[in-house]
Amino acid sequence: MLKLDIGRIKRERIIIISGRRAVEISLLSIATSFVLFSLVLMYEGADPLVAYQNMFSFAFDPKLGLSLTIHRSVLILFTTLAFIIPLRAGLWNVGMEGQFYLGTIGAFFMAYTFASLPSEILIPLILLGAAAAGSLYGAIAGTLRGKFNVNEVVVTLMMNNIAFWLIYLLVVGGPWAGIAESSSRPLPKSAHAPYIFNTPFTSFLAIALAVVLFVFLTKTTTGFKIRVLGHSINTAKYVGIDEFKMSVLVMSLGGAIAGLAGYHMWAGDPAFLMIPRPEAYKAVGDLTYWGIILGLVTLLNPVPAIPASFFMGSIIVGATVLVRRLRLPFGFDFLFLGMISITFAAFQFFYNYRLKVMKK
Amino acid sequence: MIEISPTLWPFTTRFLEVSTILVLAAVGELLTQRSGVINVGIEGLMLFGAATSFLTAQAFGPLWGFATGTLVGAFLGLFHAMLSVSLRVNQIISGMGVWLFATGFVTYWADRYTGPLKATIPRISGLTPAFFIALAVVIIIWFVLTRTHFGLKIRSVGENPAAAEVSGVNVTWTRYFCTTVGGALGGFSGAVLMLSYLGAWSHLPTKGLGWLAFGLVMFSLWRPGILLVGALAFGFVWQFAISPESIFPGFPAPLPVNRMLPFLLTIIILTIISTERFRRRWALMKPEALGQPYIKE
Repeated sequence: MLKLDIGRIKRERIIIISGRRAVEISLLSIATSFVLFSLVLMYEGADPLVAYQNMFSFAFDPKLGLSLTIHRSVLILFTTLAFIIPLRAGLWNVGMEGQFYLGTIGAFFMAYTFASLPSEILIPLILLGAAAAGSLYGAIAGTLRGKFNVNEVVVTLMMNNIAFWLIYLLVVGGPWAGIAESSSRPLPKSAHAPYIFNTPFTSFLAIALAVVLFVFLTKTTTGFKIRVLGHSINTAKYVGIDEFKMSVLVMSLGGAIAGLAGYHMWAGDPAFLMIPRPEAYKAVGDLTYWGIILGLVTLLNPVPAIPASFFMGSIIVGATVLVRRLRLPFGFDFLFLGMISITFAAFQFFYNYRLKVMKK
Repeated sequence: MIEISPTLWPFTTRFLEVSTILVLAAVGELLTQRSGVINVGIEGLMLFGAATSFLTAQAFGPLWGFATGTLVGAFLGLFHAMLSVSLRVNQIISGMGVWLFATGFVTYWADRYTGPLKATIPRISGLTPAFFIALAVVIIIWFVLTRTHFGLKIRSVGENPAAAEVSGVNVTWTRYFCTTVGGALGGFSGAVLMLSYLGAWSHLPTKGLGWLAFGLVMFSLWRPGILLVGALAFGFVWQFAISPESIFPGFPAPLPVNRMLPFLLTIIILTIISTERFRRRWALMKPEALGQPYIKE
């Protein structure tokens, strides 16, 4: 056994963790991953300080990366919210990737079908389509869980892969294939996301959604029921909360939120405005898994998820500079993201325990 | 109209290869889960196994490739055990962390060497030798789990760690052992994928096989026998999805539809098996303490 209580250091169990401690832990884990990554940078012959300075100056420069940072942050925020809501009811939604793809399909379906409508009517329709497709996809997992007690982790993971091929089917040589090889037709002009203060309006939608969900979870009866179910299934049964209804509700809610990201991602970035080739949309799909990590880091609270996503977005965008500007090997940015994720995982320890130095 | 093609035997060897990969990864996960630890990072284990074995095989030959692939898997399993057993981190987070780390690290590490292997491994009339190893591993794990004292210990740790501890089983050690062995098998399966099935490195080569193996464990009801049958069926479906024309020339369905089949099938089978009737009749249940860290008070 790996004994941590050898000597004078003892681990102490924490039952309820304060928000302040959560912030401290996440800052500490971020700092640790930066230190670890410095070693890799030095191994590759790059100066860590120059690299980090380059990263953040790019990510926060209004002329260069800031709009990209905001855009990616909002994607992460959507997926974080999509993860938080079901887990509040005790359901692990690891299907944000699939729901995001379905949202993409819903949004593009609406955009192609009603391309002639003016954008005041078209964009609400698209948002509705994206949310509906995502929520239906989430509801499948919720129904299976509520009705037959099928493990939702496995179901959502499988559905992620199904959704990947679903888009592939539509885009690569399918009905939505564009002129460019293996990417879709461009979005009609009226479907492009309108900008407010130089940012796609979906960014404000996401932030508003985070606040609304916070109120929903803490102040409404349904939110209370969700939290009761998350704490104890037996208590929920005893007070007459319908587990099946709740499972479907939270999963479809999560799915709808992840689905909205499907519109935001492709319509809010002038570099896309279409579904790109499979490797490119798969790479974006992989980003959605950050929702899991950030959801847990923020202790399932939608409001702190806003700054957390923004910070993560800045790293995601900034890290691309390492490859492009500093000529470090391909995949270096992904390596950094991987290292952050594993440090976050390891630092989960401090959410449950506190190390204490004992006096003898 | 539908005729059996002369490529049937090559197809069979290919699909048995996929089954081999699946069964190796899944039976390792089965052992891990039987001891009460869940490792969702199989895809990551396989990626690491594949990358390590690929790079080693390029330098020192395929045999070393298998060895290092397995070793790296074992190390990752050990790491997961450290996080989830000793540090009591949430096991899904820890597994996801390993997977995300693997996607990043492997891309950085192996993508610049993208290309085919220099040397291939010998085959037994077209069949990969790893197939027989996989069969042996399934039988060994089945035997250990159901017929030996040690297997009883593993199962008791997975069902009720507190009771196991009282009767003198070292819960921590057992979980470490099972997770490490499971990790090694995952790494080995990645090596088989790379050195035997694909034979060339490309960007993130596992393409969801690891997730499929994870689903397989769930619906095998934690029985190695059912797992083997499931893996054979899934290997068939997977390979059929890639080249349906090798059995039925002129098979009409477009490719991506077929690629969804294995995942769709998992959901359907899982749903059927999860119904109350099935569970009661077979009296097979998941390990009671699965995914819960054991806290000695």
